[in-house]
Amino acid sequence: MKISLSRKILNKFIWGNLKFQIIKYCFVILTFNFSLLTFHLSEANAISMNSNTFKIESASVNDAAGNKSSTNYRLSDTLGQLAAGQFSSNGYIIKAGFQYLHSIIAFKFSISNININFGTVLANTPVTGTTNLTVSFGGAGQYQVTAEEIGPLKRVSDTQTIPNTSCNGGVNTCTTTAAKPWTSTSAYGFGYSMSGQDFPADFTDSTYYRPFPDRTLSESPTVVMSNTNVGKNRQSTVTFKLNISGIQTAGTYQTVINFIATPSY
Amino acid sequence: MNFQFLISKRKRRCLFRVMRNTVLSFLCILTLTLVFTPLIYAQQISLSISPPLIKLIAKPGKSVLVAYTVENTGDPTILLTKVLPFEAKDNVGTIVIKDEFEGPIRFSLDNANIVLEQPFFLKTRDSQQVLLRMKVPDGTPEGDYYYTLLAESQPPPTLEGVPSARAKATIGSNILITVTNSGTVDVKGRVALFDTLPRWKLEIGNWKLNVFDSNDKIPVVLIVENKGKNLFIPEGTIVLKGGFGETARYDIIPQNILAQSQRLITASNSAEFDFRQPISLLISGFFVGLYKISTTINFGENSPNIFGATSFIAVPFKLFLGFFIAIIIGIFIVKKLTQKEE
Repeated sequence: MKISLSRKILNKFIWGNLKFQIIKYCFVILTFNFSLLTFHLSEANAISMNSNTFKIESASVNDAAGNKSSTNYRLSDTLGQLAAGQFSSNGYIIKAGFQYLHSIIAFKFSISNININFGTVLANTPVTGTTNLTVSFGGAGQYQVTAEEIGPLKRVSDTQTIPNTSCNGGVNTCTTTAAKPWTSTSAYGFGYSMSGQDFPADFTDSTYYRPFPDRTLSESPTVVMSNTNVGKNRQSTVTFKLNISGIQTAGTYQTVINFIATPSY
Repeated sequence: MNFQFLISKRKRRCLFRVMRNTVLSFLCILTLTLVFTPLIYAQQISLSISPPLIKLIAKPGKSVLVAYTVENTGDPTILLTKVLPFEAKDNVGTIVIKDEFEGPIRFSLDNANIVLEQPFFLKTRDSQQVLLRMKVPDGTPEGDYYYTLLAESQPPPTLEGVPSARAKATIGSNILITVTNSGTVDVKGRVALFDTLPRWKLEIGNWKLNVFDSNDKIPVVLIVENKGKNLFIPEGTIVLKGGFGETARYDIIPQNILAQSQRLITASNSAEFDFRQPISLLISGFFVGLYKISTTINFGENSPNIFGATSFIAVPFKLFLGFFIAIIIGIFIVKKLTQKEE
């Protein structure tokens, strides 16, 4: 009994000590990690801002208690000494390219397929066709690609048209700026979906479609691709979809979609 | 007889080797051809334009010539050049090109063979120099005028008997013109918004506090407004200061802000950002405590600075939670062991 008692006491002591050790080590590890991570706030640098034609002077940093804005003023020296001299003698100053890039980089835009052929279209049987849009900006700068149709799908021989889609309708009625699901085979019309890179966020998945803005209705072109960050070989896929009703007059229907790609300013 | 048999066996072996090598070579060439042959698309358009942006400051009565290069790297196509005005659509650099020409600036081409609004043919891998003359007539009011030089392809011919959508490609280059008699420009800038996009926001009356978890990335938004008649390019920095004295500095990318518009300023080459909402800067790290972020912006030599500041607090919620769970588990294990022993 004495032996079992002393063993019990010994075990209790060991386990108590063990508990303390576990808690102590946990605390030490956590404190160490805290210190390591807290004091490891490394500086992140933006891209270099120097070139032959400009230099960004880092302004002095002042602690400000709130937003402060300048009052009205007119500057005569914003052009800089050299530029002001040029302006006086030539009457103009001209600059090409972007200030934060060392060289002038061409802006490129491609469409992989400019003839989207829907083939024989049967009533209540949607058909699709695709084309790829590619924008290259030499690895710099932001851009946008807009799209509009010069008019709805129109029969070549007369003025019969296939209307633009309103998708599934009801709460799922799509507009030129808001894509909605278009899955019903009894929902007719013409529209497009986007996938790939830099496409608008409302194209949630491949069932989401929008109608094209119609120039004949003075609708503004809508952005189908854009990126506010740097872009090189950015590619997206436009999926055109056509679904006609049984009462649609037979014929050859055509339209032209204008894709306009511009770099930002 | 045996000798003849040997010869024919040798011949057969030789023939077999030749056939085998021929077949292998053919398969090799076929594989290489299939692997390295580029995809061929239907009729395609591929255009490029340079320079992508022109900025002109001119007196009334001046005429300037700019040489653009339009290159066709796709199928042969017919192009048409035109100049249309544009305006800023929002604060992320998107533009709206107007349908009709307007404004006092006069544009024409000095080329002998091409004219604005008239089509011309461009072969594959061919380029066309477009000599655009920009004339600021006498008496043009001071101010800014913004245009885009567009090179527009013609759509392909219609396909008989087949419903189709034909695409045309238009590529543009922007032209920013400031008209000033004396070289004086009207620069009126202000910080429209400078703040972080917090995970949680504590608001008690007028007092607001942005709260992040210590492991969160800190998104910062900086929007600068131009209330003047001429565009400007802001230059400056965003500075992060922590409670332990650590400092990080980020340079602002100098981008044009058009007259009477706002623009979201970016503070790094943000290709790595994976944010649906446009932001100026995303700061990574492990943050604990109160942090102050400030920005200082100016518009060129001798221009005064404008400022903005905000702050946030970071608390290691996830770490505390993990620590708490670890303690609970530790206590549970120890209790279990103690009970077993008893």
